[in-house]
Amino acid sequence: MGSYTIPAVQDMSIRLTKAMRLGIVGESGSGKTTLALAIMGLLEKRASVNGSIRFAGTDLQQLSEKQRNPYRWSRIALVFQNSLDVLNPVLTVHEQIWECLVRHTTLARADAHETVVSLLESVGMAAEHGPYYPHQLSGGMRQRVLLAMALSCDPEVLILDEPTNALDAVTKTDIINRIARIQQEKQFGLIVISHELQTIARLTSRISVMYRGRIVEEGPTGTMLSLPLHPYTRGLVHASPDINPWRDMWGIPEESETSEFSESSEFSGNGGCPFVSRCCQKTDICQTRVPSLEPAAPERRVACNRGGIVTLLQGTGIHKHFGVNGTSVRACQDCCIRVRSGEAAVLIGESGSGKTTLANILSGILNPDRGDIRFNGEPVVRSRASRRKKGMQIIFQDPYSAINANLGVEQAIREPLDILGQDLPEHKTASVIRALQQVGLPVDDHFRRRKCHTLSGGQRQRIAIARALVMDPAILIADEISAMLDPSTQANILRLLKGLQNHHGFAMLYITHDLAVAQKIADWVYVMNHGKIVEQGDARQIFTNPAHPYTRKLVGQHFPEITRKTGDIPSSCVKNKPYVITRNPALAKAA
Amino acid sequence: MSRTIYKIAEYVLTFFFIITLNFFLPRFMPGDPFTFLSSDAGDVTVTCSQAQIDRYKSYYGLDLPLKDQYLHYIGNLFTGDIGYSIYYNDDVVRIIGNRACWTVMLVVVSLILSGIIGTIIGSLSAWFRGRLFDRAAYLFLVGFSEIPAFLTGLVLLFVGGAWLGWFPLSGGIRPFTEFSSVISRTADIIHHAILPVLAMVLTRLGDFYLLSRSSMLTVLSRDYMRTAKGKGLSKPRILFGHALRNAAIPVVTRLFLSLGTIFGGAVLVENVFNYPGIGRLMREAVMVRDYVLIQGIFIFVALSVLSMNLIADILIRKMDPRIG
Repeated sequence: MGSYTIPAVQDMSIRLTKAMRLGIVGESGSGKTTLALAIMGLLEKRASVNGSIRFAGTDLQQLSEKQRNPYRWSRIALVFQNSLDVLNPVLTVHEQIWECLVRHTTLARADAHETVVSLLESVGMAAEHGPYYPHQLSGGMRQRVLLAMALSCDPEVLILDEPTNALDAVTKTDIINRIARIQQEKQFGLIVISHELQTIARLTSRISVMYRGRIVEEGPTGTMLSLPLHPYTRGLVHASPDINPWRDMWGIPEESETSEFSESSEFSGNGGCPFVSRCCQKTDICQTRVPSLEPAAPERRVACNRGGIVTLLQGTGIHKHFGVNGTSVRACQDCCIRVRSGEAAVLIGESGSGKTTLANILSGILNPDRGDIRFNGEPVVRSRASRRKKGMQIIFQDPYSAINANLGVEQAIREPLDILGQDLPEHKTASVIRALQQVGLPVDDHFRRRKCHTLSGGQRQRIAIARALVMDPAILIADEISAMLDPSTQANILRLLKGLQNHHGFAMLYITHDLAVAQKIADWVYVMNHGKIVEQGDARQIFTNPAHPYTRKLVGQHFPEITRKTGDIPSSCVKNKPYVITRNPALAKAA
Repeated sequence: MSRTIYKIAEYVLTFFFIITLNFFLPRFMPGDPFTFLSSDAGDVTVTCSQAQIDRYKSYYGLDLPLKDQYLHYIGNLFTGDIGYSIYYNDDVVRIIGNRACWTVMLVVVSLILSGIIGTIIGSLSAWFRGRLFDRAAYLFLVGFSEIPAFLTGLVLLFVGGAWLGWFPLSGGIRPFTEFSSVISRTADIIHHAILPVLAMVLTRLGDFYLLSRSSMLTVLSRDYMRTAKGKGLSKPRILFGHALRNAAIPVVTRLFLSLGTIFGGAVLVENVFNYPGIGRLMREAVMVRDYVLIQGIFIFVALSVLSMNLIADILIRKMDPRIG
């Protein structure tokens, strides 16, 4: 049997000041627990730890086991990850908490017994639970015991390893609330290790995101969750229904090939960015260069060779007016808009608010009076960004005027490819067939030869979408495309677009007045009224806690429950509580 | 509550099964007691005439149908009358009583010694897993446990008794001797017991060693050991309060289950050392087809096995809160 080493944690630096609350987030296997055990000095002898772990100036790594014991529990305590085996099966709960007190405090043995009882009560357990053995406890009770045990010696630093894993919602909330309250009271430093973003959001003020033993992003909890800068962080947020309850869940694509060998070679440090195999915005440099943690925004640092999630499309200070019968209509006033790679930005607003004008300007069809539009950093001038693959495509609202009715289906879809003139004819046909399949239309010769004027509005809209997809766009501007589609087709198309977004970092600016659809797909929302962008924010914030009066009105008309529920609740509470629709006023009062 | 009743019923049923087997087994053996009456094994056999045999058979009730004999046997058993030895012409209970203490002493002492020594070496072996101590102990003890007790006994007898002459060759106590004090008597008994006890300890040691080693290894890898270490507890507390309390459970079970063989456990060793215990008595009883004595011995053996099982059952419940 050959032996090899796998680095579980690499080049990891964290700092915890007094009373600071730090969250460490990552998928299972990212090295979170290893980090906690390293801090406590509990890794097996086989594991080697390099670097220093300083506590109040003392390097714990230099201490012998015996010298280390006074630090354990009385100064740094750990709430171990909950498992059936984490408590000794032949000792009672009481005994297992009591022995910590006897070892680390000066309490008399009899007083220690009383302290155990009050500790149990402080975590929501009754004194009668003391004589229980671990196997007689439920998972939630065991978690409480672990917490009471860790709190027993008043530690200066408390590390929580997955404190809410596999708990029911009620217990989870109760435990989180208790931890938060006790932390506030005793002001100990807190490290919360979890893959549950809800728990992290509630308990911490800063987050470090770990991937494969490295920190890939760190920053304040609030902005990290609403505007992640690393694709991995965003993937975690997208996979968490707690953060945005409406949006579809999408996991981060798993890597296609995983073997011991490739994994260890990646770990060796020369293999480039650890996230490269799952990243949707990787470039050549990511294969060879390990990114270091660099400042990316105020208080934010991200380890990405591309400086975090790249901005694909940016429009700044866009002005546009039309002269109508001598009067001037200001369609866009100082509009700023940004779409990042892999993001679904949604522009909402009522008809006539200037949405379509803005879309046309962004895609280079209309020239703005003033303003700067950049795609991938290059200025957008006319069709420069749209007449290429991996570029920008727009789908118009009205399929009747967007497609030449006298063209055949295949002809209409391959037209941009023909203009580009890069592909062989059989490749073009293959692209057309793939696009037709994606939008759910027939692919047989007969259909592909049909003239577009023989098709229905919905079919023509799908042809318009297929025409955009053959160009393999990096960003798609979709202007009210669902108006023409039946609900089922709309759902299929939206899932297709979200899938492309998740797997290929495809970005989308989706323009709609349908707030229900917006809620379902949006990562970031822009609200437009009278040619101005009046509010922008992450989807959860816009839909639960709109700030601008116009947004409130718009959201209130669509979802009366939301504004009624959130109207009088301060935003800080809403952020951390899952939003509940209360249909029965009596129940609402009782709650 | 119903669990206890169930458990009791289980024991009663087992006991009945054993005493029934106990009655029929010797009777299905070829031969009968009167072939060997008043003849020592190896001596000239005195053959009884058919008339004598018939007389003895009716005297001992052995001419009755098996069914009636069985009912008699059960009935007597419950009045505490186990019977009268045909060969030794003495009360079975008294014969067994005279011999029992020798065997009990031998077995208890050797089991406790091998249990304690085995557990200590096993725990240390687990603690130093893979090091020289672990490997050496493993090789030595497992090797010894593979050698049957009588062979070890014979070697010990040759070396310690015959060659070096340090220990007596046979018996439990020097015969035909008046001892001046209890101390000198005890010393003589111990002197006689050393070799048989050593033989039995050496054979049993490997068992306890392996069991406690693997038990300790399992316990040491458990999450709660990490928890205990994380709590910064003292080493003795971690070892004895946390590890051993878990690791000892299977060892104690094994100890008590082995104690069940308290009467029959030393047959081979007793025969090698010509030790005056139950084991030798059993062999003699079988040789002469002394039905009543065989039955008596087996009942004692069965009772001891059952009662030790019961004690093990109760003790495990006390030690491991997850059971019961």
